[in-house]
Amino acid sequence: MAVRPPTLRDKRRYLLVRVDPPGTPIDQKELYYAVSDAVSSLWGDAVAGVIVQAVICAEGDYVVIRCRRGTERELAIALSTVTRLRDTKIALRIISASGTIESLRDRMKPLPPSQGAVPEYRFGGKEYVSVHCDGQKVDVIEKGFKNTSRLFLTTEDMETE
Amino acid sequence: MKITDAAVCPYPNGDSSVRRFALEAAALGFDSLVAFDTPSATYGDVEVRRGLFIQNAGMKDVIAQVKRVNDPLTVVSVKAGDAGFNRGVVGYRGVHILRGIHTAEKNAFDHVTAKMAADNRVAVDIDLSCLISARGIARQKAVQRYRDLLVLEQRFEFPLTLSTYARSVLDLRAVREISGLCTILGMDLPDVEKALAGVGAVTALPEPAVKVV
Repeated sequence: MAVRPPTLRDKRRYLLVRVDPPGTPIDQKELYYAVSDAVSSLWGDAVAGVIVQAVICAEGDYVVIRCRRGTERELAIALSTVTRLRDTKIALRIISASGTIESLRDRMKPLPPSQGAVPEYRFGGKEYVSVHCDGQKVDVIEKGFKNTSRLFLTTEDMETE
Repeated sequence: MKITDAAVCPYPNGDSSVRRFALEAAALGFDSLVAFDTPSATYGDVEVRRGLFIQNAGMKDVIAQVKRVNDPLTVVSVKAGDAGFNRGVVGYRGVHILRGIHTAEKNAFDHVTAKMAADNRVAVDIDLSCLISARGIARQKAVQRYRDLLVLEQRFEFPLTLSTYARSVLDLRAVREISGLCTILGMDLPDVEKALAGVGAVTALPEPAVKVV
């Protein structure tokens, strides 16, 4: 099949999305299913067919999601209802929208590496290990292998304990 | 006007500390939060107000718990019940917010309660967590109930508040995302702004009817 000339192609828009919490392993296919499920659950199959959402690329904590021009608002609302990626709790934070992927790449900031200076903390009488540290924000998990759920704290929370 | 998330549940009810909630809320565009079972404080630019949530209680318990509140910054909210209970709660001075309308009976919040809520400046809460995390019939029912509530709101103009009921910072949503979610309920931007400022409106001291010059 011959490729359509540019004037006959669909106009697309691309959303730059950050996946929280930082460091979550992103499987593009799983994310696509999660986004598709959110879109069709919220707007129905008819509108999902108009939006034509697709996960274009995942780089670090950032993901580029494509949609048809004029449906960015619907896609953005649907993205705010994505709460899980398989069994991992996530949140998708929309950073920007653009007509080209290239301009979105400029806005992808590599997150600062975790500061491993104080890897162990005490909070609420329990020992925690830091999994991510960015400025005042510290994500920790309980020491040991039984409880691996993340706690979202700040450096000040540690100092008070 | 302070943009407020009217309900978050910090540690130990959730997995995020109240300071972390405040940090994230500031980044997402909020000025204040109502946090359950947490003392009032200000972290950075974000004011955190203590939230008292009275649920599964009779009218006597509500009165007793409201009388015990001694912090003027505390935001008192009560979970909705049947029509008689809701009228009693809305008519009682000291209650600021009526929550959980979408889980109450269909006619638990009628035009009489709506009029009383407007007269007594008691807000009705819109729980966004059921729009965010629920799917299928649960979300459809919530949308239906809130659309019905908004019909009464436009007629009687009682205050509204918006809550994410976030137990984690991952459950918080940006102000723009909240505006988007509220369009599903038929709210436009001025309605959303008014609802986000609802906590400030119901907790502010009422203007005196007579002004001494």
